[in-house]
Amino acid sequence: MSQPSALSATGLNRRSFMTGTASAAAAVPLLGSPVKAEAAHGSGAELRQPVVTSLRINKQSYELSIDPRTSLLDVLRDHAGLTGTKKGCDHGQCGACTVLVDGKRVLSCLSFAVMNGGKEVTTIEGLASSDGALHPMQQAFIDHDAFQCGYCTPGQIMSAIGCVNEGHAQSEGDIREYMSGNICRCAAYPNIVAAIMQARDETKGA
Amino acid sequence: MDAAAPRPKDNQGEPLPRVDGRLKVTGQAHYPADLPTGNIAYGALATSSIAKGKVTKLHLDDARAVPGLLDIVTYGDMDKVEKPKFGNSGATSVGPLHDRIIFHDGQIIALAVAETFEAAEEAAQLIRAEYEEEKPTATFDSPGTATIPAAGKSPLFKEDVKAGDFDAAYAGAAVKIDQRYSTPTQHHNPIELFSTTAFWQGDQLVVHEPSQNVTGWKVELARQLKMDPGKVRIVSPFIGGAFGSKGPMTPRTAIVAVAAKRLGRPVRCVTSRMQAFGTQTYRAETRHRIQIGAGKDGRIAAFAHEGWEVTSRPDSYVVGGTSATGRMYDYGSILTHVSLVQADRNTPGYMRSPPETPYVYALENAMDEMAVALGMDPVEFRRINEPKTEPIGKKPFSSRSLIQCYDQAAEAFGWAKRDPKVGAMRDRDWLVGMGCATAIYPTAVAPCAARVRLTVDGDVRLQCGSHEIGTGVRTVAAQMASERLGVGIDKISVEMGDSSLPPAPVSGGSISTASVCSAVLKACDAVRAKLYAGATAEGGPLAGSHNDELDLADGKIVAKSGASAKVEDVIKTMQVGAIEEYAEFAPKGATPEALKKLYAGTPEFHGGEQDEDSVKYAFGAEFVEVRINRYTREIRVPRLVGAFAAGRIMNTRTARSQLMGGMIWGIGQALHEATEIDRRYARYVNRDLQDYLVPVNADIKDLQVILVPEIDHAVNPAGVKGLGELGNVGTAAAVASAVYHATGKRIRDLPIRIEQLLA
Repeated sequence: MSQPSALSATGLNRRSFMTGTASAAAAVPLLGSPVKAEAAHGSGAELRQPVVTSLRINKQSYELSIDPRTSLLDVLRDHAGLTGTKKGCDHGQCGACTVLVDGKRVLSCLSFAVMNGGKEVTTIEGLASSDGALHPMQQAFIDHDAFQCGYCTPGQIMSAIGCVNEGHAQSEGDIREYMSGNICRCAAYPNIVAAIMQARDETKGA
Repeated sequence: MDAAAPRPKDNQGEPLPRVDGRLKVTGQAHYPADLPTGNIAYGALATSSIAKGKVTKLHLDDARAVPGLLDIVTYGDMDKVEKPKFGNSGATSVGPLHDRIIFHDGQIIALAVAETFEAAEEAAQLIRAEYEEEKPTATFDSPGTATIPAAGKSPLFKEDVKAGDFDAAYAGAAVKIDQRYSTPTQHHNPIELFSTTAFWQGDQLVVHEPSQNVTGWKVELARQLKMDPGKVRIVSPFIGGAFGSKGPMTPRTAIVAVAAKRLGRPVRCVTSRMQAFGTQTYRAETRHRIQIGAGKDGRIAAFAHEGWEVTSRPDSYVVGGTSATGRMYDYGSILTHVSLVQADRNTPGYMRSPPETPYVYALENAMDEMAVALGMDPVEFRRINEPKTEPIGKKPFSSRSLIQCYDQAAEAFGWAKRDPKVGAMRDRDWLVGMGCATAIYPTAVAPCAARVRLTVDGDVRLQCGSHEIGTGVRTVAAQMASERLGVGIDKISVEMGDSSLPPAPVSGGSISTASVCSAVLKACDAVRAKLYAGATAEGGPLAGSHNDELDLADGKIVAKSGASAKVEDVIKTMQVGAIEEYAEFAPKGATPEALKKLYAGTPEFHGGEQDEDSVKYAFGAEFVEVRINRYTREIRVPRLVGAFAAGRIMNTRTARSQLMGGMIWGIGQALHEATEIDRRYARYVNRDLQDYLVPVNADIKDLQVILVPEIDHAVNPAGVKGLGELGNVGTAAAVASAVYHATGKRIRDLPIRIEQLLA
């Protein structure tokens, strides 16, 4: 008996979903006319054709030729050389890849890069000023030892800035709730809350 | 300044901020998969969808047709490579591509390599296997398990400890309990994904991979690839969480190295979160039977601890926590036995306080039950059974501050305000419970090498092949050098995480601070000795002074007479540009081969219960408050207090953070973490961070860490006991104790979930 590999047998991630929907549509004509299904199937190859995408990242313009399936996270890391943004799950479950898109926190692993044309992407590398002065949130994370291994830290800091700007840092309880999408396996949570409380007022509008 | 930086007490170092803090908050700390590597090809794993049987055919055509596909490494392609070995540096003996036998679900069956990550993943998903499938055995109680004695199956677990006549003492005890406890499979789930990047420079192999053991991996990878270890380099400058998961190397490393060689270009394979559950190690599920017998005065006369642990068919990984539980209290008589239960699973491995987390959980939950049976306060019950010497070999403890920990934590927690009656404490719709438990972790130390260079400009370069897994080892090593060389911390640069540096032991067993600081101390003292010799030499600036009258501070050598000389000037008069010393530290009791073994990647551990003179442990006491909703049975832990004594504390900030993180891990053990297994297919079900629950920010509220001063010169020259694994021992039992206090329900199987409290 032929069995698919475990990867495809037990969980579709968004990549297999994209390539998979084409064939699924072909196999289930009820979802559309056979002609449409054929067209959908045909578009599979085109999906892989590199597309040129213009992105604004940390106030710089990038023109990149990428596989259209590439996530914003992978573009940042593998194409723009900005490895400060981290991959922790690639499923939008850990928060390590959090960046700001037009000022709002976004999980970059759940966003195709091509969807972000014309938007302003800010990553951890874009926070400190050119003279090296740290953003108040970065300094607060150092002051309160709000990390240990440091891997989730860029995502925590970007998320913390987003959280403050959303108005969700009114109290420690608020912060705990609205920062719970960012997992810290070293469990620096109380220190993260203390850091956000320290930087909150300076961060607003920073 | 704030809670994160506790004011140092006796024998505790300054709470300096981490020396690598700026790198970590700016995104400039480079974890292995971040290191720039040109012309990279991407690898993706295909894994088995059965847990037992044989691969009869692989269909690769669809995968090969993916545009951008470069190569597929699979059966036959690893034939010239040695199979992995199970042990310190090896996670498993299964060479997944060496033969077609499937030992567990999620076993690697191929590596697809392509121009892009997207193409590699697409190709890997198109690889189809045909199998000759057999019915797998999943875990305890599944048909087909084999049970064998654990003693002697691992060099770390030589015997089932015992003392006195348990049977007689238990039979004669006035009050007794006989209960069973269990802990589930758990996966470390560090937030950094597991990855291997390999490239060849001529006949030299460079591997970027998060590792807690670069020296051990270098040697083991060289063995597999039949190379000179001098031509293999493992680079791991920052590690994004480890917790034991990056201690042993997995078979993936050699597979990616072979792919890089075949292609003649760098290959990076980042394992998906889902695949990590089957291709890395995990905490074995355990079962326990504990019998305690005591007199009505609360003195324990008999203690028996029997453990069962799941392991894989090919490898005997032993958890074996009876060595610690058997030495915890003044039991009178002790009987222990540990068995391994073999199933069709990947091989388990070290996960933060591997033996103590499950075994001490069982012991401490039983101790709480026993206190209830005796009608005694649980703190008082432990105080009564505090041993003067360890109860098995009757050796003294090098230091043991457990009662001080209990006293300080109880005071800070407000234990005296607890109404001991079950269910007596309520706050509106919440049932309030308070509980406590003991934390224990063996204090070990291993040989370690370090190189220290002091330049004429007063800069210090410190090199040691240890690993920054988040513990702050770079920071404490710099603090030790700063103290011994009298230079500011800002003048010290620390290089770690590279097998080309002086070797350090695996960063496991909470040995790093003790081992690294002891080596740095030795190297710095050698630098001092040279400086002093230069200063006091004929014609030197402090000629005539004796070495023992000198001290180093603020860039100056100061004599007792008050005369002083700048370090810079002394180095100039010595007519050198820098003083550099390479030191090899070997702990007391080390064998003549100890240093050789360090370089071979198989360092000796000393301490714990192994030394002749004394047994060496760090202790702590943890108190928790739980609140359980009277209607929904939702369980919250709003308050934790832990007091810990661990010898010299190098840095109160990093120490507190580690202990705090450990206690929160303990909350995860108590309430959240369990890898669920589909018994039909011996397959992990909740293989991601959505369904494998770990504590998040909203789970934690007030948490207090108390660092109890303790001085212990016997443990190692630095006087340091490890504490990275101490904090999460006992926490789950404290929660179980508090849940009982709130509800009257004794939960013995972890994790404690709402459904257990509904009935």
